[in-house]
Amino acid sequence: MSPQNLNTNCPPTWCPGCWNFQILAGFKKFLETQDAKNCAMVTGIGCAAKIFDYVNLNGLNSLHGRVLPVCLGLKVGNPKLNVFGFSGDGDAYAEGMEHLIHAARYNSNIKYLVHNNQVFALTVGQPTPTTETGFSDKTTPLGVKLPPINPLKIMLAAGCGFVARVFADVKQVDAVLKEAMSHKGFCFIEVIQPCLIFHPDTGYKEKTYNIQESGHDKTNFTEAMRLAEQFDYSGIKSDTRIPLGIFYQKEKPVFEEQLKR
Amino acid sequence: MRWNVLFGGPAGTGPNVLTNILGQALVEHGNHVFYSRDYQSLIRGGHNFNVLTFSNEPVWSNDSEYDVIVALDDNTEKLHRKNLKKSGIILKGEHTNMYFAGRLFKLFCLDFKLLEAQLKKLEKRFDENLREAKKGYDEEKKSVCQVKGQKPDHYFINGNQGISRGAIKSGIGVYYAYPMTPATPILNELAAEQVKNNFSVIELENEIAVVMAGIGSSATGKKVMIGTSGGGYDLMTEGISMAGITELPIVAYLSQRPGPATGVATYTAQGDLRLALNSSHGEFPRIVLAAGDPKEAEELTNQCFYFSQKFKVPAIILGDKHLAESFYTIHEKVEVIPVPSTVRLGRFNSYEKDSQGCATENPEIIKKNIEARLKKTKEIEKESKKFQKYKVYGDKNAKKVIIGWGSTKGAVLDAIKEMKNVKFLQILYMEPFPIEIKKELDKKKVILVENNSTAQLAGLIAEKTGIFVENKILRYDGRPFLADELKKEIEKELK
Repeated sequence: MSPQNLNTNCPPTWCPGCWNFQILAGFKKFLETQDAKNCAMVTGIGCAAKIFDYVNLNGLNSLHGRVLPVCLGLKVGNPKLNVFGFSGDGDAYAEGMEHLIHAARYNSNIKYLVHNNQVFALTVGQPTPTTETGFSDKTTPLGVKLPPINPLKIMLAAGCGFVARVFADVKQVDAVLKEAMSHKGFCFIEVIQPCLIFHPDTGYKEKTYNIQESGHDKTNFTEAMRLAEQFDYSGIKSDTRIPLGIFYQKEKPVFEEQLKR
Repeated sequence: MRWNVLFGGPAGTGPNVLTNILGQALVEHGNHVFYSRDYQSLIRGGHNFNVLTFSNEPVWSNDSEYDVIVALDDNTEKLHRKNLKKSGIILKGEHTNMYFAGRLFKLFCLDFKLLEAQLKKLEKRFDENLREAKKGYDEEKKSVCQVKGQKPDHYFINGNQGISRGAIKSGIGVYYAYPMTPATPILNELAAEQVKNNFSVIELENEIAVVMAGIGSSATGKKVMIGTSGGGYDLMTEGISMAGITELPIVAYLSQRPGPATGVATYTAQGDLRLALNSSHGEFPRIVLAAGDPKEAEELTNQCFYFSQKFKVPAIILGDKHLAESFYTIHEKVEVIPVPSTVRLGRFNSYEKDSQGCATENPEIIKKNIEARLKKTKEIEKESKKFQKYKVYGDKNAKKVIIGWGSTKGAVLDAIKEMKNVKFLQILYMEPFPIEIKKELDKKKVILVENNSTAQLAGLIAEKTGIFVENKILRYDGRPFLADELKKEIEKELK
């Protein structure tokens, strides 16, 4: 299938230069290698979810926080369908956290990308569960008092069989999706996607490094946990290091394959 | 003659098994049986009781006074003796439930072989149960022999079984649920049937996941049902709204119990009619059907699937605890219609969408989408004329009308059985509403019977027909109406 067929007539309404364009391009590049007719996408609500309008794939633009149960419903209805979920950090970690934990437990064969910009962007800049302490906006003039959560640690603890993080970059998104496709089960992929307007890029990309290149064994759970702790989402400092790559991978029984047995 | 038998005891002593065994045997002897369950939200101890009413004529409800009390503990006698008829019999003492089963079989001249067959079906502790039953059978000296002996042409099921059968006959693909009384038994019923009938029963983390996964599966063309009670349905409402805009079929079973909030977990009410009709934000077409017995539960569940698939709308089958968990004797053949699957995977959007399935803010498209959904309301209304949207029982030309819906049907039918110049109008279709009932109510004395405190049906009738029902008999203590008490109340209103 040519990339042209994946386009819609809908012009993107992300801000000029938004990192989401990189994720969109990465997903489309990946789809060129797939049978798009057999792929479906599910999105939530927020800037990340707008990707639904820019890719001509079947699926559902769902409600805020409800990407994963809809993905599960698609897989139960048609286990052969390749299902891709897209959420923002508000969608995945605030409104949808209960579904995220259980998605790791169910282990349905869903590929789930969380565009993490550490802010509610489409509602103009409120803090999310991954916003750093001290961040302030009109709703939080006294500054965020709480520490951010660490979604990778949560996913590892929840028993997720594929935990990865990439930066919002065409090549990285394409590559991690290819890796995820060869994994049978729920894949959690966090995409660091700084928001240009409400949570500006303070040098995230420069602080990243690839853990596979530095020899990480992705079957080593303890090491995966240690690497997940390396970046705690509390902003960029001189010694910040953001590990990227596949933190952990282990195949487990798949939800939809066990139905009616 | 109507016989009322009460079985009482702490949870865990087996009053349910006992009631069911006697009920089944009475039905197999050609009798008509109805029994309801009164139980608390606990697992062991407390006080549970069932009332079984039987007759050689149709019965649909219980009465307030008992001919026989089976007391599995002292508390049962203490609590219920005041309602034992003067000629009534009390069976008590420290015995197992199966001992009492034996005594009851002797008392009512039932074939012991039927009891033995029921015990075999139970599997557990067969030898011990049989010994106990024999002992009871031999020790009982009285017999009242009110039962017939012929082969029956009817069967014995509860409302939840009716809903389950309706779903299976409609070709259900997936049932999603989170346990909540009184809808939970559907999970058991359907789970036991899933492999044989090639569908899936899936429990998820909460009711939000249940409805959203339901929508996902519906988008692949599966016929989906979800089930819960009021509290769980509250959580589902954003998903019902999503089904409304995406135009994806889904059938929701809303089994009412008293609210607000946790209310009274294991008792009955009809307080969620307005919830079913008005829940979820935005305007979109929906179907709301209310069943009054297990046969209607089966047929209306099937009709919910039919309308939901044909018009791609959410459909709600309304029941309540009294219907869900009471056993009824069904005489007539159930009529179900085929339900073709109508959905193909495409691009569905919770936003108003353009022809490519992309979100749009274009005023012309928004208006067009809304009008397309409104048009379906009219088409549904037209299609619904092919179905029985309300039923009239009793003297068709009567000048006095009792009106009701759902499980109150049973007590009303029994209460008015011998009344002259009285008919009962039962509404099955709450949406689309049978506005034509206006002709049945005009210039008549109308009495409303409802299991709630605000007469929600009366409000709906006023909204749809302009008729204000003045006379209301309402019960809102979590308990169902009893035929003899209701009869007196109706007679008082008719004076």
